[in-house]
Amino acid sequence: MSYNLTHHPDATMLVEFSAGTLATAPSICVSAHLHFCEQCRTELLRLDQVGSQLMAEAESAEVDDSLFDSVMAKIDSAEANPEPSVATEVKGFPHSVSKLIKNPQHKPIWKRLSASVDIARFKTGQSDFEVALHRICAGGKTPKHDHSGVEYTVVLKGSFSDERSVYKEGDFLVRQPGDVHQPMGAQNGECICLSALKAPIKLANPFGFLMKPLLRINPM
Amino acid sequence: MLRKTIDIVDENNQPTGKVAVLNSPEKRSDEWSVLLIAVGENRDRQAFARLFKHFAPLLKSFAQANRHQGWFPGLSEDLVQEVMIKVWQKAAGYNPEKASATTWIYTVARNCRIDMLRRKSNTQHLPLENEDYWHEPDEETPVSLLRQKRSESKVQDSLSQLPKEQDEILRKVYLEGKSHAEASEELGLPLGTVKSRVRLALQKMQILVSPEYRDELSHEL
Repeated sequence: MSYNLTHHPDATMLVEFSAGTLATAPSICVSAHLHFCEQCRTELLRLDQVGSQLMAEAESAEVDDSLFDSVMAKIDSAEANPEPSVATEVKGFPHSVSKLIKNPQHKPIWKRLSASVDIARFKTGQSDFEVALHRICAGGKTPKHDHSGVEYTVVLKGSFSDERSVYKEGDFLVRQPGDVHQPMGAQNGECICLSALKAPIKLANPFGFLMKPLLRINPM
Repeated sequence: MLRKTIDIVDENNQPTGKVAVLNSPEKRSDEWSVLLIAVGENRDRQAFARLFKHFAPLLKSFAQANRHQGWFPGLSEDLVQEVMIKVWQKAAGYNPEKASATTWIYTVARNCRIDMLRRKSNTQHLPLENEDYWHEPDEETPVSLLRQKRSESKVQDSLSQLPKEQDEILRKVYLEGKSHAEASEELGLPLGTVKSRVRLALQKMQILVSPEYRDELSHEL
């Protein structure tokens, strides 16, 4: 599954992802992008070699022999009681997103956000970002809005466009505060996006406050 | 896919068995990768013991280098145990075409380190483990990967040739587990400087090669 994508996470995000210092919500978005993007997967394999080399050339620490026995004992006991594996994949969706959709502790439910947009919020165990799926119906227009915090978006299905470009499956977008935009769903089918939003969006429309209660974000 | 077998030997050079290795342009014949394949294919405990002997001290040192505020020294041995258990359990999924055993084990350690920190600072059920972020779609090894005839010894060489400030920043980012923002605060440097220092280092090492990352960098400088 590889497309010629034009919108990728920047180098800093990939490095932090490889080093394991990128926060949970943006990491989920990067992982969703990787599902579609062979080029970034290859880039990450090389970045991992840097971490690996730095680990390999460090001075080794002393390890007591008993640690090996303790590891073998744990391995044996885990093999005697294997955990049942549960199928979590949702066809065509990245593994991380599939697992959030099938999370037995919090089943996401579609809720109406506006006439043409639905939202299903995920539980991800962090409180900095709201992580959710957005579904724009075919040809649907979303309200024109600004963000008071950064928003990461990955197109998972279909496509949408705004004033600047058309975004297809796998494309990764970052919107900073001050980027006013009005996404529109493609005419030929619904569009599903993953998004991680840091703070409530601001409506550019002066009567936007009427919609505010609906747009409250719920990080969880 | 063509396969051939090679002999594996113990510390005294005595043969302990044979193992199939992938015969591809990027085949791995280094000792650790051969041992890891033996663990994955034959549940070979002797091979695992040798991997443990080599990697456990490196993993402990990797754990001790962590400067994250939630980390404390007592966690280092827990990390070694958790990583080595995962190595045993997941060895069958190791693909020697993509990475050496050392790089593969680094990724397991990186994932375990994040999960331990997240579990510590969170009492809620966490639906994802870090390895879930790295789940790759089933695919043939990308052509781009086979074309890039990059051996890990080249990474080693280029790392040793970096200027001190670039080497230092990579260590902060990878070993100490600092985000770019944390590194900038600690070094008293603007975030943009930290970002471009990291990217310059990675470019020099030919790690970041995609055109958009090159463009991104030239805009900033």
